[in-house]
Amino acid sequence: MSNSKLYKGSLNTIILKLLNEHDKMYGYEITQKVKALTKGELKITEGALYPALHKLEAEGLLDVEVAKVDNRLRKYYKLTETGTKETVNKLEELADYIKTMQALVNPKLA
Amino acid sequence: MKLTKQEIQFIDNYLIKNEVKFWDVRLELLDHIVSAVEDKMTNEGISFNEALLDVHRGFGNQFIEFGVSKNKIFEKGLYQSNAGFKKFTRQKQKELGRKYRKITWKQLKIKLTSVKFLMEYIVLILFFVFIYKYFPKACFFTGLLVLVLPTFYSAYYYFKNKSTRKSLNFAMATSSAMAVWSIYNLSFYILKENYDNVADMPQIYFVVVACLFYPMIRINLEVYKKVYEENKRTYNLKLS
Repeated sequence: MSNSKLYKGSLNTIILKLLNEHDKMYGYEITQKVKALTKGELKITEGALYPALHKLEAEGLLDVEVAKVDNRLRKYYKLTETGTKETVNKLEELADYIKTMQALVNPKLA
Repeated sequence: MKLTKQEIQFIDNYLIKNEVKFWDVRLELLDHIVSAVEDKMTNEGISFNEALLDVHRGFGNQFIEFGVSKNKIFEKGLYQSNAGFKKFTRQKQKELGRKYRKITWKQLKIKLTSVKFLMEYIVLILFFVFIYKYFPKACFFTGLLVLVLPTFYSAYYYFKNKSTRKSLNFAMATSSAMAVWSIYNLSFYILKENYDNVADMPQIYFVVVACLFYPMIRINLEVYKKVYEENKRTYNLKLS
């Protein structure tokens, strides 16, 4: 990752957005999806991903489903109804943030 | 490249050796590590040992290679530090506590607006008023009976099913249910400072405390049961 601190504040929004586009995802799948979508630019570490997932679950934004896959159990995360609503808010907040930063960094494009 | 059953078992044992003692914490770590190792072996062309060591470090378990002979790097590297796994468990524990507190408060609001529960609550209060009026000396034990319900519940489920043992979900649900008991204990000890024995204490205190904490205890037991059912389902799936 080029600068992890810049992405850190948006991790929850990234997770919510991905889960909004997919029915359910497991931890490793999320890291790989982000890596693929950003062409390797953004790599979510295990140490950052799981606390974020567990926090979103505690807040009632994510629900968990466990299934048996290849001789082991897999924990899938999916959005709850509140989580779906919160995704819209978070994405709006992120869009506003990007717009504000654009105005500061590159006023011509804003 | 898919890992064999033996290799998966090796990773599970490695997690146990690294003190990841809760099975419900281990299951998530195990799946992540197996997926990552399989991916690294397939796409980076590295060996099982190299891939596992790489993933081990990825979780924040530091490894200082200095002074370790090359043929012992894998063995030493896997067990030199488990700081990352400890942090993982601590954070999960914190979030589970938050989750159960949130559920409890949400349920409390629902319960206190439910006619069925309010009727039950009124019956309980009337029962305690009856005890206080006609059998005042029984107030302490009757009140205590209500307050120790979560303890009985947790003991019952602990012996009923193996899934409750070494489960972080269950441990946190228990600790959440015991919170009320701790508040009671604290108030009881404050009272004990002024009275030599229980019989001399104002018996109304036990009635008020039991009635006051009843809704919380009732919800805790419901949350407890829900956690138990979910845990049992996952545990059975693990054994299948």
